[in-house]
Amino acid sequence: MQISSSDLGLAARVHNLTKTFGAGESGVRALDGVSVGIRRGEFTAIMGPSGSGKSTLMHIMAGLDAPTSGRAWIGDTEISGLSDLDMTILRRRRVGFVFQSFNLVPTLDMLGNITLPFELDGRAPSALERSRIDGLVESLGLGGRLRHRPHQLSGGQQQRVAIARALATAPDLVFADEPTGNLDSRTGREVLALLAAASRDHGQSIAMVTHDPVAASHADRVIFLGDGRIVADKPSQSAEAISSHMLAAEVSA
Amino acid sequence: MTAVAAPTAPTGRGTAGVPRAAASGRFAWLRERGMGASVLVSAISGGFGVLLIAATGLIGAWLLADPYLGGGDTVVAVVAILSVLLVAVAMYVAAIVTANTFATIVAGRTRQIALMRLIGASARSQRAQIARQGLVVGAIGAVLGLLGGTAGAMVLQWAADAAWGIDVDYSVVQPVLLAPAVIVALTTWLAAWAGSRRVLEVTPLAALSGAAPRTAEEAAGRTPRRIVAIALFALGAALLALGILAGFVTPLGVVIAFLGGLASFTGLSLGATLVMPPLLRATGRLFGRSAAARLAAENALRYPERSSRMAIGVVMGVTLVTMFAVATESVKGVMAASGGGEVAGEMGQLLDTFSAVMMALVGVSAVIAAVGLVNLLTIGVVQRTRELGLLRALGLTGRQIRAMVLFEAAHVTITSVVFGLVLGIAYGWAAAQSLLGSVRVPPLWLAPSFVLPGIPWLIVVGIVAATATLTLVAAVVPTRLATRVSPVEALAE
Repeated sequence: MQISSSDLGLAARVHNLTKTFGAGESGVRALDGVSVGIRRGEFTAIMGPSGSGKSTLMHIMAGLDAPTSGRAWIGDTEISGLSDLDMTILRRRRVGFVFQSFNLVPTLDMLGNITLPFELDGRAPSALERSRIDGLVESLGLGGRLRHRPHQLSGGQQQRVAIARALATAPDLVFADEPTGNLDSRTGREVLALLAAASRDHGQSIAMVTHDPVAASHADRVIFLGDGRIVADKPSQSAEAISSHMLAAEVSA
Repeated sequence: MTAVAAPTAPTGRGTAGVPRAAASGRFAWLRERGMGASVLVSAISGGFGVLLIAATGLIGAWLLADPYLGGGDTVVAVVAILSVLLVAVAMYVAAIVTANTFATIVAGRTRQIALMRLIGASARSQRAQIARQGLVVGAIGAVLGLLGGTAGAMVLQWAADAAWGIDVDYSVVQPVLLAPAVIVALTTWLAAWAGSRRVLEVTPLAALSGAAPRTAEEAAGRTPRRIVAIALFALGAALLALGILAGFVTPLGVVIAFLGGLASFTGLSLGATLVMPPLLRATGRLFGRSAAARLAAENALRYPERSSRMAIGVVMGVTLVTMFAVATESVKGVMAASGGGEVAGEMGQLLDTFSAVMMALVGVSAVIAAVGLVNLLTIGVVQRTRELGLLRALGLTGRQIRAMVLFEAAHVTITSVVFGLVLGIAYGWAAAQSLLGSVRVPPLWLAPSFVLPGIPWLIVVGIVAATATLTLVAAVVPTRLATRVSPVEALAE
């Protein structure tokens, strides 16, 4: 009998994950036996320098990429070995994404972008979901702009739409990939505060990949990656502490 | 530490501005998506021109060699005029297709152009470079067309000799055949120049700003052009009406109507950006509210100019084919009525042959437009790799992607074919009415008479079947490319 993720209070976990790009001599081992769980209701930051494997880890955890070996779960569903179709439907229903470059669909207006996951599922949001969306639109300050298209909005507004889209389905887990990378620092802080609030007030599990210590300091937990391995796993940290940790890792490498 | 960005699997992506193969050598850009199709388009139109002109010469030689045929000169003159008109139509459609293709290629190269501007290239030199590429494409197509067209004419001469024993001492290889080839090379050059207008709008800053693809290319309100289009259409419609009225008195009404048709149709094609978007939108509503259909409907109107021009080429081809079919059918109807029920066998056959030949000849324009359509849909998907990756990440299944691309193709083909059929029936009827309005038909034996538009259902069915095929063919390559997009790769770009 295996212990399920929910028994452990985890929204997602991976076990002994390895990912190799290319083969033989020129092959690059991006992940090297990583085992970790993302705790339910927490805002987790995955930190690491470029090439540490943090993006690869996120891609596999989110069901966007397949590992070379090892296993991955979202909630209690094992996703390693799922067919492309099952994986796609799982992403649609149970995973939310926020990307660095906003990644809204340019031909759809704001509301169209927010409700896209429901449309892809071939259904309209239920009354409950609709009120959830209304609440998100309200709290993210997007009211009055619902008929605008992405190019009519600032970067910060676009990213807030992306957050609304990610939260709309109340997914098991939201993945945020450098969500502040394309924003000025003030707008970036606002976006981080919104993510932290979603986790704190609504129990939303969020995993954020970043190399920015300031962004990571908003999280409840910081996982450090280096050379495809987890090198540290710490509770909420100040930006200074994260910085010095990163610096130390850099110097010792 | 191994600060190595994970290399993604080499899938030979041909995304925006990145040549598919290792770009080396002076002509590496020829491998860029869209260039091959442009060569094909200029080769078809050039080859068509060469073949028609060679055939005209051949027909002239046959007629003049036959001592029993009178009025050979007039027939040759008519055939020559028809040839020039048909070639002009084909080249016009080819030029639209080429301009559209280059405009699309430029849109995909924006970042690359911006980078060149950043380093110090002037917008003019960048544009001239693209126009030069058009000239090279046109020249290659012209040479291919010249060879193909000449070979076709030789086969024709040989076949005529073998089948009917028509043997004249005439060489199809004449200096005049160079004319269509040269014209194709030049029009392709011009079309590339016209299509690269947007290069001038690319600023060096575009290279520095983050991934900011142009999201809404508003159909630039080029007012003068719209006014010309509307004026031409109005003038043409007035002339058409006048021709029909004159047709009640004399068959020469068809000449006025012909001019009216020419003017109104030119107006329509110039004003494509005015006419097509509402029609495309209406078609979009037919597909329902599924996510795939909605995304496809929005995509078809993302670049209204591009889709309008893509559609208008197909509209032209379908209109012309339908027009000849309907005119012939209507004329046969009148002849049957005035002849007491039956069309004289020989006459009917002659009409059918004429209309079949004409339909085949204008069909070439439709083929050129179809090549352009397939090509543009493909480039459209390639340039959207990133967005497709996003949709895959958010949960668009492979099946939904296939549906989306198919809807997108169907959107343009259905709109243009329905519009083309309606226009073709209208023009064909106008031609028959203005030509035969003064013919007395039973039971009243009174002129003016009303010519019932004859609709050749077999041909309509043929056109609809061809459309369905075109839609499927047009969707094959883009679908393959679109379903191959992996979200990780697309989002990493």
